Amino acid sequence: MTPGFIEFLLLGIAVIVHIGFVTTTLGVGIIVAVYRYLSYARKDQNLEAFARRAFRLLVVTELFSGVWGTVITVFLAGFFPSLTAIAASALFGPLAISIASIMIRVPSIAIFWYTWGKVSPKLHSIIGFIMGLSGFGIPFGFRTIFAEITSPRSVAALLQGTQPSLLYAYTDPVFWGLYAHTVIAAVSVGAFMVAAIMIMDRDVLWSRKALLFATIFLLLQPIAGTAYYLILSNNAQYIANSITSGEFMPVLAVKLFLFAVLLAASIHLMRRLGANTIPSYGKYIGILAIAVAITGEFMNDGSRYPYMVVLGSSGISIESLANPLMSIQSVFPAILTISVFLALSIAVFSIAIYYAMIKRFVL
Amino acid sequence: MQIAGLLDLSATGIYFHAISVSITLGFPLAIASLLYKYSRTGDESLLRAARITTIILMINFALGAITGTLVEFGLVQIWSGTLVAIATSAFAPLAAELIAFVMEVALLILFYVTLGKFSAKKSLTIILSYWAFAILSGILITSVNSWLVSPWGTGNLAESIYPFMPDYGPAAMDPSKLLAVKIIMLATGLPLQSVLQDPIAAQKVGILITDPYIALKNPYNISSSIHNITAAIIIGTSIAILAWSYRYYKTKDDRYVKILASFFIPFLVLMILQPTLFGHLMGTSVVEYNPTKFSMMEGAVEQISNPLVSLLAYGNPNHPIMGIKDYENSCELLGNKTLSQIASQYNLTAQSIKQIAGLLNIELSDENLSRVLNITAADVCKQDLSVDLSILPTINVLYYTKIAGGILALLSSLALAGLLYRIPLISPISRAIDKLLGGRKERTILILAVLIALGAATASVLGWYVREVGRKPWTVYGLLYPSELATTVPTAYSLSFLLIAFLIILSVNILGLAAMAYVALNADKVSEYFRELLNKIRGENS
Repeated sequence: MTPGFIEFLLLGIAVIVHIGFVTTTLGVGIIVAVYRYLSYARKDQNLEAFARRAFRLLVVTELFSGVWGTVITVFLAGFFPSLTAIAASALFGPLAISIASIMIRVPSIAIFWYTWGKVSPKLHSIIGFIMGLSGFGIPFGFRTIFAEITSPRSVAALLQGTQPSLLYAYTDPVFWGLYAHTVIAAVSVGAFMVAAIMIMDRDVLWSRKALLFATIFLLLQPIAGTAYYLILSNNAQYIANSITSGEFMPVLAVKLFLFAVLLAASIHLMRRLGANTIPSYGKYIGILAIAVAITGEFMNDGSRYPYMVVLGSSGISIESLANPLMSIQSVFPAILTISVFLALSIAVFSIAIYYAMIKRFVL
Repeated sequence: MQIAGLLDLSATGIYFHAISVSITLGFPLAIASLLYKYSRTGDESLLRAARITTIILMINFALGAITGTLVEFGLVQIWSGTLVAIATSAFAPLAAELIAFVMEVALLILFYVTLGKFSAKKSLTIILSYWAFAILSGILITSVNSWLVSPWGTGNLAESIYPFMPDYGPAAMDPSKLLAVKIIMLATGLPLQSVLQDPIAAQKVGILITDPYIALKNPYNISSSIHNITAAIIIGTSIAILAWSYRYYKTKDDRYVKILASFFIPFLVLMILQPTLFGHLMGTSVVEYNPTKFSMMEGAVEQISNPLVSLLAYGNPNHPIMGIKDYENSCELLGNKTLSQIASQYNLTAQSIKQIAGLLNIELSDENLSRVLNITAADVCKQDLSVDLSILPTINVLYYTKIAGGILALLSSLALAGLLYRIPLISPISRAIDKLLGGRKERTILILAVLIALGAATASVLGWYVREVGRKPWTVYGLLYPSELATTVPTAYSLSFLLIAFLIILSVNILGLAAMAYVALNADKVSEYFRELLNKIRGENS
């Protein structure tokens, strides 16, 4: 265990928990927006009811996924202040995009929820698209941080004494590969979660439709994944090697296995639903989709170890970026306590989800 | 680079965030009281009132999360120098605040989802747990701000340049390193971010803090937290009082009086404690740890005498109140001592500072270093106090306007209490006021509710202004100027960036507040729409 490992691990856990929730909220958001619009365009109230039922999931998960973003920020600034200072400067433009998106996204969710049935369907559909699309503005900014620590451009320019232009980070192919992978994963996971909710509601028709939507995007993932791997091979060989022939090869194997299980399960489920039967395992399909996304994130972020910033075949070690201004060991008791409460909060939140979605306390 | 625009931008964001924080802390008091009354009486209108208040609380929480994110990223992106604090003295409270924040969110969602489905006692337990974490969150965030106001753990570093300053506890932050970095910033004009964003430079600075829990041990924070949290609860609850009073005014339905009466007593208790006990504690802390701010609050350019204030501040009516000019005179105690001589007290020489700058990869010319080291400390001291002299009249007027706002809120609360309950001596006065205002109870209640909200908001808004502007010219009192903490990114200072940022902050907050008002009037109707829609679909499908 190298110095800085604990900080790296804690930050990684926060990122993975956040990704688990945030992929759901982003995906559900866009699905809801699309179906809300279709209900208006086709004047179909069934579609409207479907959109509303799916949206319950977003209403209860959005804030909790956001709070884990704050956990990441505090861990990042506290554990890796130099890296945060560099990012704040080199990625000023992308981070501003993320913040603006957050400021649009969260109120638009509340407005969308509470104006339903109170404003015209056309206006409501527009609000829905603002809500759904603004969600993807958030990773459009924050994913540049992940791209920069994988293949520095803006950061490299800054460290060489040049203030990069605001959008320079978007010239990095790593970002586009990662972003495409993220968006497709989010839509797929969101649709699988909606399918799981519909299965729990014992709604055969909409379970099937949601599953079809999810599976189409799932099938796009190997293409996005391969493209991203090829980009990594050219720009971040250390990560590419770590995944295909290094320590993270087993994680890749696990991801591929889970992907195969998810694909097989969704095809099998669709066939059974087509025969008007609902297999009991169907309600776990959303969790399985999240597991695939989380494994992918773990692979993408963890495979850089022992580097924090990868520079081709080598990198800047975690140790050299870990907080030098304070002995992290001296705050370990506090960090341990915090970790216990973070875990407890997930338990409390799971109870809320149970009552909201399974006991259907939220209309 | 001009930082006035950035300061205004941050202030706007923080003020909007403060509205959300106040509702977050104040509404649970109303909700818990309503639920308690409901559990005792079974009156469904109280449960319904609790539900509507909860929906507003949820929307407000979402708005608060956004404005909080904005403030958070404002610190990281605009005031990047504060990352040094986040990575040292502020780390423990901010990390502990994560506990409060995640539990707050989880419990609030659980409460929202289960309200009306769980028993009132269970719901009461959940909302009180949520409130406890919300208060804890407030205390921890206040502790970070309190460290800026009273930088506990920096020992007598400030006192070495400003003789009138107190000691800020044990030297838990390495004064030698702090001073070296400060001198390098003065000599180069570079902000703190420039030092921090070079990882090798940060490594060279090395361990800066020996006690990471120092901000939690700050004595200033005790009075500050009690005062701030109580103020927020009062503001938040006064908004709820205003809303229900308005409903009463519109409908003349006595149910709303019952709703108001169910949570007014705990509010009144806080209203009485705030200016008397908690305000006094806060005031004595300011006297002890922010001497210049106290002079500005009292309008003391030169030494003045005010027996009442002196009795409250020092426990001695004959104690003089020092003026800014007195502090200027005390700067003379430094004689011709230069920054170089002060640096030598901390084992720093021109050579060692230059060496540190070299290690930090910062170009520091001999000429600039020598210029800074030869500045006399008395000149720095006087120059900084001249800033205080220029803002003193504003701080003085606003501080006393704040006091007037508090008195207005307190008197209006007592008058309203006299109308809601039978209180000897007070109720007859309240009835007389009602008669004077035309004898329409619903109108009198609304007027008093407006005065409570207005008075409390005035006191709070101006109180925060005095707290923040009153510690100028520093952001970290006695140690760091705002310019030293600002970002190095030129775009942040551009007019276009500032305009866009202002526009986003204003539109999101105004929309958010409008949404809350809209929901307050229509919350139940939305659910009804869906019940009808689902029933219709079920009917068609069957």
